[in-house]
Amino acid sequence: MRASRRGRSKVARKANAMLDLYSVKTQIDGMVADERRVQEDFRAKLELALAEYRRWLPEWEGLARKIDASRTSWLLPGLGEGLGGGIDSPARPSTISIAATDGSQIFPDRHEISACFLINIGYILLHYGTGEKPLMSSKPRLYYREEEIYEEWGGARIFVNRELVGFKRGLMEFTELADLALAAHAEGHRTLALADGTLILWNLEGKPQDFRAAHLEATIAALDELHAARVPVAGYISQPGSQELINALKLGLCPLAAADCDRCPYQEENQLHFSREEIDTLNGDLWQGRGLPCSPIEGLSDAVLVRRVLRPGQRTPLYRSASKILAEYGPHHIYYFYLHVGTEIGRVEVPEWVATDRELLDLVHACLYDQAEKGQGYPVALAEAHERAVVRSADRETFYRFLRDTFVKNDLQTHLSTKSFKKRYTGI
Amino acid sequence: METIKEREQSPLSRFRSEALPLPDDTEVERTHVGEVVESSTTELIAQARELHGAPSFGQFVRVEADMPVVGIVFNVFTHSIEPNRRPTAYGKTEEELRLEQPQIFELLRTEFQALVIGYLDGDEAVQILPPQPARIHSFAYLCSDEHVRAFTRSDDYLRSILNTSKIPTDELVIAVLRHTVRAHAHAPSYLVQMGKELSRLLSDDYDRLSSIIRRVVN
Repeated sequence: MRASRRGRSKVARKANAMLDLYSVKTQIDGMVADERRVQEDFRAKLELALAEYRRWLPEWEGLARKIDASRTSWLLPGLGEGLGGGIDSPARPSTISIAATDGSQIFPDRHEISACFLINIGYILLHYGTGEKPLMSSKPRLYYREEEIYEEWGGARIFVNRELVGFKRGLMEFTELADLALAAHAEGHRTLALADGTLILWNLEGKPQDFRAAHLEATIAALDELHAARVPVAGYISQPGSQELINALKLGLCPLAAADCDRCPYQEENQLHFSREEIDTLNGDLWQGRGLPCSPIEGLSDAVLVRRVLRPGQRTPLYRSASKILAEYGPHHIYYFYLHVGTEIGRVEVPEWVATDRELLDLVHACLYDQAEKGQGYPVALAEAHERAVVRSADRETFYRFLRDTFVKNDLQTHLSTKSFKKRYTGI
Repeated sequence: METIKEREQSPLSRFRSEALPLPDDTEVERTHVGEVVESSTTELIAQARELHGAPSFGQFVRVEADMPVVGIVFNVFTHSIEPNRRPTAYGKTEEELRLEQPQIFELLRTEFQALVIGYLDGDEAVQILPPQPARIHSFAYLCSDEHVRAFTRSDDYLRSILNTSKIPTDELVIAVLRHTVRAHAHAPSYLVQMGKELSRLLSDDYDRLSSIIRRVVN
């Protein structure tokens, strides 16, 4: 009798606590219907973007001049070598070493026994063509001291949150990568350093001045050392969402000789002092009588455009990034190109001294294509670095169990927050 | 000492895992074939020091301890070190893979399983299961011919094998005999003695006995 009652209550609890799948399904149906409309729209946009791309290809210098003369609210690529066209992958040198790092973390948890946090960096150094044993390791670092879990930036003392740990990890990934590549170089290996993700610290924009300066300084110091040793470094971005090329084509669609988005005459709020005739002329330029002249290809990413243009192994010309933060990069201004790695379009970022050194640039191009081929679409060194770095949720549990056990063993006073306790043992 | 000094000076040393010894100094200092990773009274599993470097099927191994445990290798296997990653076919020779996909050899591990047949008490071979199993992380070495001889003067080891289920007993008996006969310097008298012991042990199964003897002599 008692058993059956317990059985019923379990069923009832399940029904209450569970996700309402019926409601989810209805919403998924709606999402799919919307998605289909978006996809049809998308195809039309892409065809238009391709037509514009082909139109500007031979006249890219005209577009480059317009880019220089315009003031837009979106990022534009600096064109120095052309708008597009595919450059075939050069041959990879038969012996080369690839260094890569990746990081992951256990975020500080105020509800846990201690507000410490952990950063784990994965190191990979693969030697090609020699049969030499690769280096594949990871080093965890625990931060627990008062000065480590509280940081002071912009005059405010703050408990390290996820964002700060993320910044710390990102910076460590890069400085450790530089150290690893330089160590390999010092041991006589011709080395390429591969970073996971962008080299442009755009997320520093809007941060307190001292925070910005500290991060930039460390990054630039690492770049300086790589530069001095002539060890190339490249950032690889898989599935890039960047739209700089598309933005260039949007600018090409703008009927003005030089765009100034803040004073865009096609925006109604900027038309106050225009006469009726002037407004009618402007409206004639509008796309299908609505939107702005630059709207029709809005929302596309560079990758979808480039995918239609490049063959596997090919890269686009170099583009100069216009990110504001790069003003503080000195000799390391970041350039980028798109690379067809076979399964997708990747974005590759390099500092100026790699971009202008043909030998290093070719090395980056050839090695990244080779790396992606070896890794079935994603650079194998980065994939392995991730495998080494990753802290899975089981590891996290073990970490906190260790921590609790060790605290208890050593008779240290511990305190779990009520919230954390509730998460683990929910009673009735 | 020299090698440790060199390691500290290498610019790459700080990136290396602390747990794993360097390949260069293991060559000089270490002669073990494996390290125990699972252990019970009757069986043990050891991780080979090198990929594909396990002792052969049927070889005798000794696990270091106050009373070293002696076992016979009955299974060798190589697998991925990560449960969620499986090796896939690359269509390349091992040489090509070593040059162009060097990471895969770091992701594989060879292990071997040994059947415990006895232990050493001082220099005396004791053909009984040890009072305590081999300890995890202790090193396993190949048995010297002398130890093999000490353990195979009588037929107890054949009995241990034949009494074990779940393993390919006949194949193991054959492989073991080939090793022991060699350790006894191919003495015809030893071969005859073991033949007699086997015929006693397998007196109820003539076909099995003749199949084993035929294959040992081959």
